[in-house]
Amino acid sequence: MEIDILHQPESSVAHLKMAPYEVVLAEAGAMVAMGRDITTSTTLRQGRGGGLMGGLKRVVAGESLFLSEFRAGSSPSDLYLAPYLPGDILLYEMLGPSLVVQSTGYLACTPGVEIDLGFQGIKSLFSGESIFWLTARGTGHLLLSSFGGIYKVEVDGKYVVDTGHIVAFEQTLDFSIATAGGSWIGSFLGGEGLVCNFRGRGKLFCQTHNPGAFGQRVGSRLPPRET
Amino acid sequence: MTREDWLRYEIRYKPSFAAAFITLNPGERITAEAGAMASMDGCLTMTTEFSGGLISGLMRRLFGGESLFVNVFQNQSSAPAELVLTQGSIGDIEVLELKPGEELCFQSGAYIAHAGSVNMSVHWAGFSSLFAGEGLFKLKLTGPGLVLFGAYGGISKRQVRGELVVDNGHLVAYDPKISFNLRLSGGLIKSVTSGEGIINRLKGHGTIYVQSRSLDGLVRFLRPKVRN
Repeated sequence: MEIDILHQPESSVAHLKMAPYEVVLAEAGAMVAMGRDITTSTTLRQGRGGGLMGGLKRVVAGESLFLSEFRAGSSPSDLYLAPYLPGDILLYEMLGPSLVVQSTGYLACTPGVEIDLGFQGIKSLFSGESIFWLTARGTGHLLLSSFGGIYKVEVDGKYVVDTGHIVAFEQTLDFSIATAGGSWIGSFLGGEGLVCNFRGRGKLFCQTHNPGAFGQRVGSRLPPRET
Repeated sequence: MTREDWLRYEIRYKPSFAAAFITLNPGERITAEAGAMASMDGCLTMTTEFSGGLISGLMRRLFGGESLFVNVFQNQSSAPAELVLTQGSIGDIEVLELKPGEELCFQSGAYIAHAGSVNMSVHWAGFSSLFAGEGLFKLKLTGPGLVLFGAYGGISKRQVRGELVVDNGHLVAYDPKISFNLRLSGGLIKSVTSGEGIINRLKGHGTIYVQSRSLDGLVRFLRPKVRN
C-alpha cells in the first residue's frame, strides 16, 4: 500500500492506494472518497483491543465505538481519509516498538497494528486534557491526526510538553505528569496547567495548537447548551 | 542592543498554524503570555511573574481582559535550548523588532511574547473601547526588543496617514499615537442589517496590523447553528 498525505498542514487528507484485497481500518466518519470496488463494513475490532470491551474502552478514551473497515476488491483502489478538524496528518510506520497515541489522534491503520488502551490511562487522569492514551503495537501503517501542524522532536534527555500539545510518542520514553515550573501556584496562575515531562530517548510528535484552547476561545462566546 | 544580540527564532507552519520555534542561548530569556508554551527542552526553567509589575498586571487583568501573569523562560544551562511558543487561536504570528522608544498597543489576546529590554505597560483606550467590549486599557509594549504577536487569520501591516476605517474585530495592534473613534457603522439599524458591526475610524499617523478573519465573524456564524 502506498500512502500520500496531501494538502499539508491545514487541510491534510490521506490518499491510500490499496492493492487488491488489502484492508484498512479507520475511525468512523473519516472516509472522504473511495473507489467503487471497496467494500465497507462497520466493525468492533476483534482480538486484542477489539470486541465489545475494546470498543467500549475506545468510547471512554474519546474515540468512536466503531471502526470502519475498508476492503479493496480484485483491482487496485483509491481511498481518501481525513479527520474532522483542520490540521495535519502524520504517517507513522510501525516497525516493532510501540507508540503511545493521544486518544483523539487516531485516524486509521492497517490490520497489523493493534490499538489498545494504555496503562497510562490512570496516570494521566489528572492532566485535565484527554484522559486516555491509546497504545499502538505491531507492524504496519498508522495514520494520526492533529489540530495544527505536527512537529517531531528527537528526545534525548529531558523534554517538556504542555499536555494539550501531545500527539504521540514512542514508548521508549518515560514520562510523568507535573505542574509547569514545578509549583502548583505557578502552574495555575501562569496558565500553563499541567505538562508532560519526558525522559529518555525516542521520537515525540507534538501539535502546534491546542484544540481545547481554541474551542474555549470560541465556545465561551456561544450561547449555553440548553439542557 | 544590536540585532545580533536578539535571540534566534523561526516561525513555522505559516500562515494557518504559525508557531514560534525559539532558540535560547545560555543566559538568554524570553517572557511569554500565560499558556503560550507548547513544548520546550527540559533544561529551560519557567517562572511566573506579574505582567509588567503588580499594578500594571492588575490593570491589564481588570480593565484589559488579559491575564495577570506572564511566564519567564530562561536558559540557565550551558547549551542552546529550544522553546516552542504558540497561541490559543489558529492563524499567523508576526515578529517585530521594536526600536528604542517605539511603542505598540495590542487588542486583547494578540500578545504572545517579548524579549530584550521591552517594557510592558497599559495604555488608556478610552470609554468607547469599553462599549466595543474591548476593555478600558490596552497592553502597551515599548522597545527596544523583540515582540511576538498572533492573530486569527493572516496579518497585514497598514500605514495610517490621516484617517483609516477598519472593522474593530479585525484590528490586532496599533501605534498608540493613533486615536480611536469607535462607532456603529451608519447607525444602529444599518449596522445590524449590513453585518458590519463596530467600525473604528482611526486618526493620526502610524502603523497598524489587521487580521484577515475575525473571531467575531466565526462566532456570528456558529451562534445560530448551536442547537441542543
